[in-house]
Amino acid sequence: MKIVAVTACPTGIAHTYMAAARLEKVAKNFGYEIKVETQGAMGIENKLTENDIRQAHIAIFAVDIEVEGRERFNGVKVIQVPLQEALKNPEGIFAKIKR
Amino acid sequence: MTPRGNSLLEFVFSCPLPSGLHARPASHLAEAANEFASECTVTNLRNGLVANAKSVLGIIAADIRHGDRCALHLSGPDEHAAHAALRRFVEEALPRCDVPLAGVAAPGRSTTPRLLQAARVNCIFGTPVSRGIGQGHVVILKRMTLPGNLGRQVGIDPTRELERVQQAVSAVRHRIGEKLKYSLTPTGAAVLQADLAMAGDVFLVEKLTEQVLHGKSAGQAVVETGEFFIDLLGHSENEYIRQRSADIEEICLQLLEEVCGASPAPAVELHGSSVLVAETLAPQQLLELDRRWLKGLVLEYSGATSHAVILARSLGIPTLAGVRNARLVLTPGGEAVVDANRGFVVSQVSPAVRRFYEREQKTLERRKELWSRHAGKWAITADGKRLEVAANASSGDELTLAFENGADGIGLFRTEMIFLGREEPPSEQEQFAIYSEAVRTAGGRPVIIRTFDIGGDKPVPYLNLPHENNPFLGCRGARIYAEHHELLQSQLRAILRASAAGCVQIMAPMISSLEECLQFKAAVGLAKQHLTQKGVAFQDDIKIGIMVEVPSVAFILDQLSAEVDFFSIGTNDLSQYLFAADRGNPTIASLYTVRHPAFLRFLEQLVEQIHRAGKWVGMCGEMAADVRNLPLLLGLGLDEISVPAADLRELKRAVGKLHTSDGMNLLDRAIACGTAAEVEDLLSAQQFHQPESLLSDELVLLGSTSQTKEEVIQEMVDAFYVASRTESRDLVEEAVWAREAEYSTGLGHGFAIPHCKTDAVTANSICVLRLHEPIDWDSIHGEQVRMVVLLALRKSEVASTHMQVFSSLARKLDEEDFRQHLLEFETPEQVTTYLAEQLGLPSLLASESRSGGTT
Repeated sequence: MKIVAVTACPTGIAHTYMAAARLEKVAKNFGYEIKVETQGAMGIENKLTENDIRQAHIAIFAVDIEVEGRERFNGVKVIQVPLQEALKNPEGIFAKIKR
Repeated sequence: MTPRGNSLLEFVFSCPLPSGLHARPASHLAEAANEFASECTVTNLRNGLVANAKSVLGIIAADIRHGDRCALHLSGPDEHAAHAALRRFVEEALPRCDVPLAGVAAPGRSTTPRLLQAARVNCIFGTPVSRGIGQGHVVILKRMTLPGNLGRQVGIDPTRELERVQQAVSAVRHRIGEKLKYSLTPTGAAVLQADLAMAGDVFLVEKLTEQVLHGKSAGQAVVETGEFFIDLLGHSENEYIRQRSADIEEICLQLLEEVCGASPAPAVELHGSSVLVAETLAPQQLLELDRRWLKGLVLEYSGATSHAVILARSLGIPTLAGVRNARLVLTPGGEAVVDANRGFVVSQVSPAVRRFYEREQKTLERRKELWSRHAGKWAITADGKRLEVAANASSGDELTLAFENGADGIGLFRTEMIFLGREEPPSEQEQFAIYSEAVRTAGGRPVIIRTFDIGGDKPVPYLNLPHENNPFLGCRGARIYAEHHELLQSQLRAILRASAAGCVQIMAPMISSLEECLQFKAAVGLAKQHLTQKGVAFQDDIKIGIMVEVPSVAFILDQLSAEVDFFSIGTNDLSQYLFAADRGNPTIASLYTVRHPAFLRFLEQLVEQIHRAGKWVGMCGEMAADVRNLPLLLGLGLDEISVPAADLRELKRAVGKLHTSDGMNLLDRAIACGTAAEVEDLLSAQQFHQPESLLSDELVLLGSTSQTKEEVIQEMVDAFYVASRTESRDLVEEAVWAREAEYSTGLGHGFAIPHCKTDAVTANSICVLRLHEPIDWDSIHGEQVRMVVLLALRKSEVASTHMQVFSSLARKLDEEDFRQHLLEFETPEQVTTYLAEQLGLPSLLASESRSGGTT
């Protein structure tokens, strides 16, 4: 399964990147292919291309603020969780996807 | 309401004034009421307080605030007329009675550290005028005390005493009335009008009479009446009314003076560590105090330049000024801490406060220690050439700060401030005290004192300077010295006397010709002669120099060099005179840039000629303070630069990273440029300016004994302060807590990663703290935290490469191996080295402090 994700937090200094790292790691354990876009203090990094999004089965938004360029995800199934969820219980998010 | 015989007439109104019925509007109301014979009373329907409407003090004491509903009752022979007139007054005149007073400043931003907020202690804010922290029992200096011999009197004749009181009241009213006649401003007149009403207030007179009839002497009656009203008004909930207690005190002091004659300032004896609280203090009073016990000074008066304040500073007594109502709020005998670093008094010393200040003391000691390690070091270029980096200052505070920041000396001590904003010139003695203090603070390092540079653009009443259309080209600087000969002499004598105790040099401003230079030297000679005759010590071979501000100087440097010891280039004036462009005029701003080939060529010639004559040359203008210009200045070969204290560290550090030859090459290329824009491009292309490192050993705290999250954050922010990465700890703390309010930064695994984006830090920084005992952090998993990594990013530098480092650090913290290493290291060096390695930081950037980057 291919997954795309976006992480973003209010200050964009720490948690955005930690959550990205966490999602990448756990997805790997589940055997999923994942690409995580970070929207932090440095702006958008590891940007999801149109192609990435079109091929994805699902998108995860682990965010505490509005996702920049949300319209890019029109037509894709989105699971949105507070960013904390990606740190606290990332396995839970992927388990939900599996179902 | 039908008027009937002797019945009560009344009407109700609501107070239209935003600040309530305070002294000025109250005096207008009382004035209107006093026109009539009828009794007038006003009742505040909010609190039930009833007052005689003919008494300003009574009205004030009724605490009538904005929107309060009040009833005005009238009864007596002319009640109908009074009713109509007062009703008209309340509806028409009262709302316009309160023009805001000029100069009543709104209270500034005042915050206390989070830990003190948590301890729920009462902090009273003021302006720090002499820094430091002191603790002791509160001793209140009362102004209103009877001269000793008048304290107890027997055989008093009430009739006579009453007469004396009445005479005093009319004398004081007369005096205020006279002042009112000559009042120049409407605000001044309004204040005096209110004073006048207060001095004749029926309530006041009633109270005085009552005291005398109870057998008190006139003096005692005044003192006790004063205390009664100060207490009454001082405990009002309304700030405006509380302030009026100072007015009534002033009036009672005048009454006391009428009754008893001018009384000498009361003396105080201190027993044990004390914090003295006073309205104001005479220098003599301060000198009479036992300094062993005087730990802090709290003044209600707000002048930062009063003599007592200057004295307190020179004695190193932590002092706050402008602390409103300090004498009312602080309890005599209670313990208090004067925090004249942050600017408040803590009025209850609980165990939490004690712990806070014990930790604070350690922080201050560490900061001082770190400074002394770096401060003495010279700024040496990468190729081994020394550049003196001195500071500009105009007050004792600035001077202290300059040396704390590592100044090699004072390259420009401006003395104008001592002469401005006063009615009479400062005496030789006063100046001597100021210059001596400067010399003492400098501790053997050179201090260049510039004689007063005053011109027609600055109001100095006692100099009678003519109004000029073009003051910058008129009578200023050395040009007024001939006319104000004695003023210059007294300043020169004061400087010379101070030179006996250290290394002082004298500098003249605005010299444009050899004549002026010779006259100045003759004046110094005369002052020396005077002191020699009196047998007063001074440094006989004191160096004399001139400012280079007027372009004409450039063409007679050979002649001037034969007369003076040194030169200091004032780039601000020099550039505006060279380009004939007023630097206060924004429309021609582009004309007076110092980074212009013409100006650079001019500077090159100046420095070259001065050096050829074997003399010393520094630069004290704004050009020197901009680190971007530094390579050019090194290329010029200046002996010294003198800059604001805040820029010292950055410049000293930057010097160490530069090569003189690179500077010379850059200058050559800049001079070859055709336009200022080309010079700008050339400088921007120079990537010499390296940002400060993210990490340093001082920012790694292993084995912390903090007990709460609040203490941990404070300790880490303190570490930034110790390392001089912030001067506004409260702002950094606030930013960290603002983030913490979103949700806890605890990560699990015993780690937390608090962070903030704020320009209150001077450099992007990482602080690492390991706790001795784990603590709660409201973490995600509810578990305790042992390791805290604080990231502080400058708001204006989010785009910097450091953000990359922060994000990879955040990702790394997700790796167990990385976390385990951080938990096990034994020394700060191990931590910084490991982090630099893991985060791919160049070692110089990672930890500069160890390699001694500031030298």
